[in-house]
Order: sequence, then C-alpha cells, then structure tokens
Amino acid sequence: MSTKTLTQAVPAKAKRKHTAVGLRVGRWTPTWFVLPAVILLFLITIVPFLIELGLSLHSYELTSMKGAEFIWLKNYADVLLGDARFWNALRVTAIVIVAAVGLEMFFGVGLALLLNRLRGSRSLITSLLLIPVMIAPVVSGMMWDMIYDDKFGPLNYLIEMFSFGKFEGTAWLAQTSTALPSVIVVDIWQWTPFIILIALAGLQSIPTELYEAGEVDGAGPWQALWYITLPMLAPVMVVGFLIRFMDAFKLFDIVYLLTRGGPGSATETISFYTYVRGFKQFSLGYTAALAFLQLIVIIFVSKVFIGYLQRQRGGEA
Amino acid sequence: MGQKDRLGTRVIIYIILLLALIFFLFPVGWTFVTSFKSQKEYFTYPPVFLPEKIDLHNYIGAMIPPPDGRNGFKSLVDSLIVSLGTTALAMVLGAPAAYSLARWKTGGDDLSFWILSTRMFPPVAAALPIFFIFQQLKMLDTYPVLIIANTIFVLAFVIWMLKGYFEDLPTELEEAALIDGASSFAAFRLVALPLVAPGLVATTLFSFVFTWNEFLFALLLTRKAVRTLTVMVPSLVGGHEILWGEIAASGIIAIIPGILLALLLQRYLVRGLTLGAVKG
Repeated sequence: MSTKTLTQAVPAKAKRKHTAVGLRVGRWTPTWFVLPAVILLFLITIVPFLIELGLSLHSYELTSMKGAEFIWLKNYADVLLGDARFWNALRVTAIVIVAAVGLEMFFGVGLALLLNRLRGSRSLITSLLLIPVMIAPVVSGMMWDMIYDDKFGPLNYLIEMFSFGKFEGTAWLAQTSTALPSVIVVDIWQWTPFIILIALAGLQSIPTELYEAGEVDGAGPWQALWYITLPMLAPVMVVGFLIRFMDAFKLFDIVYLLTRGGPGSATETISFYTYVRGFKQFSLGYTAALAFLQLIVIIFVSKVFIGYLQRQRGGEA
Repeated sequence: MGQKDRLGTRVIIYIILLLALIFFLFPVGWTFVTSFKSQKEYFTYPPVFLPEKIDLHNYIGAMIPPPDGRNGFKSLVDSLIVSLGTTALAMVLGAPAAYSLARWKTGGDDLSFWILSTRMFPPVAAALPIFFIFQQLKMLDTYPVLIIANTIFVLAFVIWMLKGYFEDLPTELEEAALIDGASSFAAFRLVALPLVAPGLVATTLFSFVFTWNEFLFALLLTRKAVRTLTVMVPSLVGGHEILWGEIAASGIIAIIPGILLALLLQRYLVRGLTLGAVKG
C-alpha cells in the first residue's frame, strides 16, 4: 500500500499540520507544558507496572499468612506450561476476536456501503444506528440478559412466534454451545456501529474522480466496488480493525454481566480469568504474571497500530 | 451514485437498513419498555410488549435510598463526581501537554506514542498494581482512587485528541501574541485555547462519557462508600428476587449521557472513537 493512497484516504483538511518551529519560546517552555501530564502518567503507568513486574516474580497469596516469596520466573512457567485454564481463556478470547471483530467488519462495511447510497434519510438512520456505541458495555450486557432470558425474555418468544411454534428457544446463556455465541452477538451489536461510522468516514473521503475515471474505463458497479472502493477504504479499516482487536482482547464487562465466564469456563476470556485469579482468589504474584503476558501481546499490537499511524502521518508530510 | 439506483434496488436497501435498525434499537427499546413494567408484567409469558400503566414507580424505586429503594441517586452522584473529577484532571494536565506536543514536537514521536500506548493497556492488568498500591495507602473505596485510575486512560485520550486540534490550527495568531510580548503560556491560554473551543468541548464530553461508562476499575477499586451506576446495575442482577423493572430503569438512566453524546456530537464521533486516527 503506497503512501499515496494513504494520503488520499485522509480528508483534505487533515493534511496540513501546523507545527511551529518558528514559534520562538524559551528553551524549557515546551518541557514545562508537558511535564505535569508526563509525571502523572509515569506515576500511574510505569510505576505500577514496575511493581507488577516485581510481583510477578513472587509467590504471593493474599489469602495465606505467608508473605511474598521470590521465585524467579516460576509464575510465568506455570501459566504457560501448566495452566489449562489460561490456554482455554486464550482460546475463548481468540474466538471472540476472530468471530466478533470479523463479523463487525463485514456487517459494518456492508451497512456503510448501503448508507452511503442514501441521500435525504442518511443522517437520521446513521444517528439511530450509532446509539449502541456509547452505551456502557455493562448496561448492554444487562439489556441482552433480559432479551436472552429463557422463561420471560422476548427472544425465545419471537423465535416461537415467527417459526409458528416449530422452533423453541433455549437457555442461551446456560449452555456451553450457545453461551459464547450469545456473548459474541452482544459485542457485534455494540461495535458494528463503530465500524459503520469509520467506514462512512472513509467512503466520504474517496474522490469521485476515481469513479468517473473508472466509468470511462468501462468498470461496472461491482468492479468499482472491488477495484476502487474497497482498496481505498482499506487504510481506514486497518485502523478500525486494530482498535477493535485491542478492545476485544480485553473483553470483560459483557462477560461479567451475562455469564461470569460460565457455564464452566465456556465464556471465560483472558481478562475475566485474570480477574478471577487476582480479585477472587487473590493470587497476586500469579495474576501479575498473567497480566504481564497480556501486556506483551498488547504492546506488540499497539506497536503495529502506532507504526501504522506513523507511516500514515509520514505520508502526509 | 444514489441517483442511479433503480426502485427495486432502493427497496432492498431500505429493507436491509430497516432490519438493521430493528436489531440495533430493539435492546434499548425493550429496556425502556421494561422500565415501566410491574413485577407481575415482567414475570409472564408471553412477554408483555406494552405495559398497562406508564408511571415512574420503577425509576423512583431505583433512585430512592434503602430500605425502599436501590439508592440509585447516590450512584448517580458518584458517577457524576468521578466523571467530572477525571475529566477536569485530564483536561487541565492534557491541554498544555497536547499543545506542547503539537507546536514544538516535544520529545519527538517517541513521547507522543508512549502516551498513546498507555491507552492500550488491558485495564485488568493495570488494576492489580493500582489495587495493591492504594491498599497500602488505605485509599481504596474513595473518589480519588477511582479518579486517578480512570485518568490513565482518559489523559492519553485527551492529549491525542487535542494534539490533533492544535495541529489543525495555524500558528500566526500565537506568533503575533508572542511578538506583542505575551508569555508563551498566555499565548496558549488566551489565543490558542479559545480557537480550539469546539474540539475542547467535544474532548471534554467524550472524557466524561468514557469515565461514566467505565466499569472494571469501579468494580475493583471501590466497595460501598463509592458505587457508580455501572457497578450498581450489575449488583442488582442476581440474588433471589430480581427487580427487573428497577434494573431497567437504572440502566436507562445510566445510558442517557452516552446516547445524548452519540446523537448530538455525531460529527466528532469518528475522531473521538479512534483517538484522532481517523478524522471524519
């Protein structure tokens, strides 16, 4: 992907950046401006993570009388080599990321393409579609908890009604086979509108000349979609995907409300498992190691994200 | 392209969008309807789609203090205090920092991106050491602990959002102010800040709603003295007698700021949700 396409994908007004080396000020002035924020961020991120790193090298159970004991990397070895529940949580998280984020991208781009064809009614419909995005995830969980309710919920009633009694609903959240898909549906409900939103932003920044040129060259609507729209949309969608990836990786609220990781550990995400070990069983050392392993994954993904942004910004200059 | 769609195509597009609207709005609508149901109307099958009497008994029950109510008003106030505190702290520290990063590239790309990376940490990983530290300080279950924890994520957001707005702002006016003898802080406060006012407002409102919606820190770092709405709602789900009407009512109250923001600030939503990475 060349920098040219990246530049074009960003609306024109975003292109000019006004950094002023000419804005002459004292040598230390820029530093004084950032210092308070940097000190606070340092105190609330770097310091805690050093403590966490320290904790992760200890065996430290808040529930036992024994104090912390230095055990080198044993916690990490235990997590990676001996903890089936950790690997299960990782598998569940991976399924959520692939299924939820994948379907969000598919439906989000699809709906954005349809919305983009409307004229008068577009902004009203878009506004209404965006409502789930800003709802607290834990409240989304509560809403869907009522919908999934197997005795009094509307979902099973609607299934029965529309199938004329041929199908019956089930206890969606209580069965191993349906619990995880049910959680994934809530995530899709909440975040597809986010993808719609950024896909619309991307679509609106595609220059119409490209389509005119395409038409001159005899491209039909499907070819225009495949050879112009989707490639032009790709840079924005990469940003959306990476943001969703990082968020889905820490999925917690919905699981807490709907299933508490159950039945068994069918919906136990990595964040939820960490919560159980740390704040239910109070194995501080072990949890610190778990948390650190997640940090490594997230640092890796955010490096990709940041590198991508940097290249995009580089392309603008 | 819209003009060229044939009638049949348009009908299909509208049908698909209508189905999407039903899917995305149904849970909110259902919760709204439920918030007016009596206990009897909730526990029936087939479910009641329109409650017989529309009154506020569930809202009152959710808001008033125990023993008759769920103490929701206290939670509402707690959510307000924590959200306002976090937003104020993040804006006061974040705005000058963003200005410095935008105008003088202080610390180069490395500093900017380090700040951005703090936004990505899984909260559950950050919660453990913060819990540990504030336990030692005997400060768990207070407003400051929750405000400080939330600031981790909100401050990075504020800096990146505002950095984008300052970068879009031409420098000439500030240069003029400096030549006229203004201090650099005065140029920032009296010239640059008012010019990015819309961005400031949008950033403030986003910070407010992000904190308002936050759940994990509130769950882990507070118990009884502080109980935000996002902790209150799940605490009502469970137990032997679940008062769904009141739960739905508290849920509706909890989502009002977010929905207002989504509807009123749609123009800023893309930027807000992508930390300025996509400018709509």
